[in-house]
Amino acid sequence: MVESQARRFFGSRVSRIEDDRLLRGRGRYVADIELPRELAAKFVRSYEAHASVAEIELGDAVEAEGVHAVFTGADFADSEIRCVSSYEGFQVSAQPILALDRVRFAGEALAMVIADDEYLAEDAAEMVFADLAPLPVVLDLDAALASDAEVLHDGWTDNAYVRRAVKTDGFDKAAAGAPHRLTIDLRNARHGAIPMENRACVADYDRGSNRFTLHTTTQVPHLIRAGLALAMDVPESQIRVIAPDVGGGFGVKAQLYTEEVACCLAARELGRPIKWVEDRREHFVASHHSREHRHRVTGYFDDLGRILALEADIRVDMGAYSVFPWTATMDNGMAMGILPGPYKIREYSATGTPVCTNKTPYGAYRGVARPAACFSIERLIDQIARHRGLDRAEVRRRNLLGADDYPWHSPSGLVYDSGSLAESLESVLQLGEYDVLLTEQAEARAQGRLFGIGLVAFTEQTAHTHQEFKQRGVPIVFGYETAKVRLDASGTAVVSASIHDHGQGLETTLAQIAADRLGLDLDKVRVEYGDTNQVAYGAGTFASRSAVLAGGAVTRAADDVAATLKEVAAHELEAAVEDMVIERGRLSVRGSPVVSIDISELCRLTYQRPERLPEGIEPSLESSRTYDAAPGTGAYTNAAHLSTVEIDPMTGKTAVLTYAIVEDCGPMINPMIVEGQIFGGVAQGIGTALFEEFLYDENGQPQSLTFSDYLIPTSTDVPDFAVAHLETPSPFTIGGIKGMGEGGAIAPGAVIASAIEDALSHLGETVVTDLPLTPERVLTHIDQAIAQGEGQ
Amino acid sequence: MRDITVTINGRPMSATVDPRLLLSDFIRQDAGLTGTHVGCEHGYCGSCTVHVDGASTRSCLTLAVQVAGRKVDTVESLAPDDETLHPIQQAFEDCHGLQCGFCTPGLLMSVAELANTNLVCDRAKIREHLAGNICRCTGYHQIIDAVEQALAEIREVQIDG
Repeated sequence: MVESQARRFFGSRVSRIEDDRLLRGRGRYVADIELPRELAAKFVRSYEAHASVAEIELGDAVEAEGVHAVFTGADFADSEIRCVSSYEGFQVSAQPILALDRVRFAGEALAMVIADDEYLAEDAAEMVFADLAPLPVVLDLDAALASDAEVLHDGWTDNAYVRRAVKTDGFDKAAAGAPHRLTIDLRNARHGAIPMENRACVADYDRGSNRFTLHTTTQVPHLIRAGLALAMDVPESQIRVIAPDVGGGFGVKAQLYTEEVACCLAARELGRPIKWVEDRREHFVASHHSREHRHRVTGYFDDLGRILALEADIRVDMGAYSVFPWTATMDNGMAMGILPGPYKIREYSATGTPVCTNKTPYGAYRGVARPAACFSIERLIDQIARHRGLDRAEVRRRNLLGADDYPWHSPSGLVYDSGSLAESLESVLQLGEYDVLLTEQAEARAQGRLFGIGLVAFTEQTAHTHQEFKQRGVPIVFGYETAKVRLDASGTAVVSASIHDHGQGLETTLAQIAADRLGLDLDKVRVEYGDTNQVAYGAGTFASRSAVLAGGAVTRAADDVAATLKEVAAHELEAAVEDMVIERGRLSVRGSPVVSIDISELCRLTYQRPERLPEGIEPSLESSRTYDAAPGTGAYTNAAHLSTVEIDPMTGKTAVLTYAIVEDCGPMINPMIVEGQIFGGVAQGIGTALFEEFLYDENGQPQSLTFSDYLIPTSTDVPDFAVAHLETPSPFTIGGIKGMGEGGAIAPGAVIASAIEDALSHLGETVVTDLPLTPERVLTHIDQAIAQGEGQ
Repeated sequence: MRDITVTINGRPMSATVDPRLLLSDFIRQDAGLTGTHVGCEHGYCGSCTVHVDGASTRSCLTLAVQVAGRKVDTVESLAPDDETLHPIQQAFEDCHGLQCGFCTPGLLMSVAELANTNLVCDRAKIREHLAGNICRCTGYHQIIDAVEQALAEIREVQIDG
């Protein structure tokens, strides 16, 4: 039970606490950390996508200037990253820390050079020659599943990590009885999070206490500790993981990496701190990739365009190894669960296959499978609209869940808590001026311009905990987050949390919550995170969960501390505990505000004058609590996006002209931060829609190694945004908060595909099914549309 | 090894450096100014932007020996003191023009150059000027808000002054 307490900061656009240090260049990122006697590491990486390792010739590297050691696979052979799904039939991969007898992707680390500085380590790394004997490469996920495909791991029967299927009891009957059916095949390209800060870590080993300290660029320090303990067979109590300021994550920093293990092992071996800073070229091949989905989706619907049953086959190219802690089944599980989206679909059948290929392993990226799922269902809805000759907005209206459908038990077993889907759709049509746009489009077409409107409604599963992760078969079931709140003797609250802030503004939003619960000013609250020694357990920041779960844990812990303050104050003021009011830095007696005492005085008194405490009260103003939002399948934020594009008919280049968003994430702790999260997500989604793709040649050589080959949106690629909010509280969470960190990135692929298809619809029919919509692909669509139109 | 003297943020600094040492590494490691961040080391992302003799420069594509005898300014030079931010920094804070903060120092230095050269810019012009600084977090909208505010503020101070 959470007591009501006046909200002074919750809901306000307060400036961020973290900004001052970041703006002054005083942030402390991992690459900024310099430990005494530290050495630099550089990895030698495989230039083949699939090969047996004949020999690694160290040559002159060992004797080169400033070199302390060169490690190869055999040196670290006792450790590996093995992440096993609990799904029946899961085929297990073991990723060596440095390659042993075989490499399975270009970029896999073969050797590790340790030298006095990075320059010398790079010099020596170039002297190492790996003799690799190429093996047949498996690059395409469908080809990987062919019966004659080379099997990539010993003891496996084929290249499927696992095969999964779900089906509702009434599916067959509903599908058979539906008057219409439509099937589309959809592809999302392999791309990734690409934060501006590359990965980095500094490992230190203390021989006196046998303890490791790893500073690393991670979103999930506690999970990295768990993973290191497993990989190195060391008790967790001997590992401290510190993630200081982290320069963006978006999922790619939510997995354990071999480099982190290697740096720890090398630090133990050499007795000196080891620092590794990834360069951008390495990042493109060695940091986990994402998003490569292929879906075949069939909708069964009636004359009015209402979906009666939905069928999906989901294949995801998970690359060479199963990653810790998600396993190789993460995207499939999420896609199979959320594909029915915001629609009232009762009958559902889905199969899912995560596939092993000779590509970089696959990790999380903002939205995890939801962008692909949204793309599939929204593209299907658009095709149904065209099939029935209906307006796209109208088909959505007819299928969206209504306010009285909640709580909605989805056919995939999720419980949607609440939402405002119909309202957000209508609002975005108004905000984006849909009627005006239709007129504009008619005028544009009269002038021969290609102007299109895209529209999407979706639901964002957020803050899902144990039920969701149990269902996804992960070995560690993520649920709760932990927060510790302590008032110090001078009256400052220190909030320590198991989540991590790498741009989401949690240092501020958690302070807003704590300040309200404790009646303090914001400058009397300090939020700490990113150190496994601060709070014992928790999972970290991913899956739009931190505001909900850490926010709930902070609320609980702060309320415990406030309760103790009230006891002490009541005793001091000779009043009843239940009459104590806590606000504006003071505790006072309800109805007699002059009878009051400063919180700072109460703090001093509690710690330094124990003889004045009431009986039974310990001299402690500290509480550590956890929160796991039941029932554990999440709180559901919803949104609608409306965008316009114009295509250059000569080059096929698409310009995004306008972008409107109406989002409902429940009560907002800080609307300014919410908007920043939405805008940033949409910009990433525009990258998904138009630009981003990791390309390989036929031998598995990565072709996207610089920012000139891999384009990410710049300030001239992204338009100004229009945004409006709805606030439907979740009945499931403390404060009614819903997560929203990923939502922006989920819809743009579907929105822009819809807009491009619309821009060409007057020429003829073409169905947009593949992302990204590069100029080349768009030109093909223009040609298809014209050919189809002329053929009629 | 070469002996160089550079004026960094108004202070002369002498050092003996390897000719291949990047300016970005010199600033971060030798001068200890870790506010300058390295995002790509191929001159594309703009995170490492500093001013050399007042002009914005990619410090990852510049050698330390190239700035011998010249004036280098980094993000640490912007704020007048510990209590006050530079108007550009203040605008970024007010408008939520930063999230993870990694690209921010480079962006601030690019905006500072704009403020020195062209104080009257519409949003499209601002976007054009900042197209060499990639930000993966913000989606740019609030950065453009911040730059508009900062330029207006600086114009006003100049008119008043």
